[in-house]
Amino acid sequence: MNVIELKNIVKTYPGVEALKGISFAVEKGSIHGFLGPNGAGKTTSMNIIAGLSSPTSGQVLVDGKELDKGKVPIGFLPETPPLYGQMKVAEYLKFVAEINDLPKKLVRDRVFEIGKRCGLSKVMERLIGNLSKGYRQRVGIAQSLVFDPKIVILDEPTVGLDPNSIIEIRELITSLKKDHTIMFSTHQLHEANLICSHITIINKGQILKSGPINEIRKSLKNRQVVKAVVRDWKIIEPDVVLGEIRDLFPCERVEIESTEGQTELKFIAATEEDLRPSVGAYLMKKDCGLLSFREEGMDLEDIFKKVAGP
Amino acid sequence: MVFFNGVWILYKKEVKDFFLSPLVYILAGLYTLIIGWLFFNYLVAAKELTASTLTQSILIPLFGNMNFLFLFLAPLLTMKVFAEEKKLKTLNLLLRSSLSDWQIILGKYFATFTVTFFMISLTFLFPIILAFSGYHDWGIVISSYMGLFFCLFCYLAVGIFVSSLTSNQIIAAILSFSILLGFMLMVFSVNASHLAMVRDLFQYLSVPFHFEGFVRGAIKNFNILYFFCFSGIFLYMTRKSLESRYW
Repeated sequence: MNVIELKNIVKTYPGVEALKGISFAVEKGSIHGFLGPNGAGKTTSMNIIAGLSSPTSGQVLVDGKELDKGKVPIGFLPETPPLYGQMKVAEYLKFVAEINDLPKKLVRDRVFEIGKRCGLSKVMERLIGNLSKGYRQRVGIAQSLVFDPKIVILDEPTVGLDPNSIIEIRELITSLKKDHTIMFSTHQLHEANLICSHITIINKGQILKSGPINEIRKSLKNRQVVKAVVRDWKIIEPDVVLGEIRDLFPCERVEIESTEGQTELKFIAATEEDLRPSVGAYLMKKDCGLLSFREEGMDLEDIFKKVAGP
Repeated sequence: MVFFNGVWILYKKEVKDFFLSPLVYILAGLYTLIIGWLFFNYLVAAKELTASTLTQSILIPLFGNMNFLFLFLAPLLTMKVFAEEKKLKTLNLLLRSSLSDWQIILGKYFATFTVTFFMISLTFLFPIILAFSGYHDWGIVISSYMGLFFCLFCYLAVGIFVSSLTSNQIIAAILSFSILLGFMLMVFSVNASHLAMVRDLFQYLSVPFHFEGFVRGAIKNFNILYFFCFSGIFLYMTRKSLESRYW
């Protein structure tokens, strides 16, 4: 079931067409990564979904309904977290919960729970204006969750955080999957690779790919790559290896890289045939001390490069 | 959400923000100092003006000045209401919440009014001082304060509207001061036309014309109607300005 659905959204600013009829959907209970280079239209799309601006044409459905302008029950962390520096963290979260109509009796417990979940317990009584950037970002995430929305949109939630905080925020996002549908934009493809179940890739105001991350990988993979690490390998020239295997299996290219007593071999298939049995048999025959052997999937970096182009 | 509950939540936050800021205390101090100094001078001068009453020699000019000073102070108080939120990108937090545009506007409007009420409350001392001299025309004092509060409703509505147009507080202050000055100067333009209808229109549109009756103790329906319409129109325009994000 789709909780967010964008149908042919066009957004124009004077002289610029920021979104050129984009359509995609976010499935319930998924962690949906929204990827794209700077100026691709990510923030514009997210602002439209969050109800902060209206599309020039097209339709946005949240839970199957077109909602009132601005009053979309979505937790939203924009690029710049909307924080009041003169308020204390607990006071601010209470205020956000109250203006979002969270029942009064739940407010106190919810603020405490979200504070704990977002790693803010130690700073609940401190002024937001005196917090570090990392903590501010956490408060920003906490405000998007405090009124318990079903859908949460996070615009680059890990920007400006130290490595430990990034890991904690990623764990937090993953833990939210149980109760919320998460959509978040990021530049860090590695991050999306780690936590997303679905992705949408946008570039120059157009959706290039959207769907489950595995399916996107599959759809883009046209050549199999088999990677093997061996201990004893004497042939340095890829052409020599190619010559040896020419009659055994269809291989387009072989890459050889030696490092610290190990050699990494990459066999890139010439056809759609599964190379693994043949490559395995070849390496066993060579008795080269096989250390590891696996099919290499296309990582998100490759996918992004491939679909977004130069 | 119950309408006034939403207004109350925002009102509490805004009032707290105002009173945590030194600006309010600086403006309140300055205001009281100027009005206190003027009161003292009118009091001293009143001894010479034996033909006029204390109302004529002290209260009428004093309330005129109290009103005039807010022409400068109201823009300074309202300049940050929306402009600062826009600049800090916190306005979207309110606009996306369960609060309606009207709840947001009224929450901020009433909070700003509370601050001006605090500033004016410091001047309650002056009529009490007059009471020691045997002054007892409290009807005039009450109607003058009412007139002043009605004027403030107008000034704050203009300030809040202008603040919703920009993210620059300085521009907001200058622009709202200019608009308020325009409405005040309109009364001087009355003689610019020979047409009675135009003269009456200019007179009716100017704020001091309606305030004047209150200071004399004459509360008329059309004066009150003017103040309500004036504030209502500017608050309505504020709502339209907030809505303009969807245009």
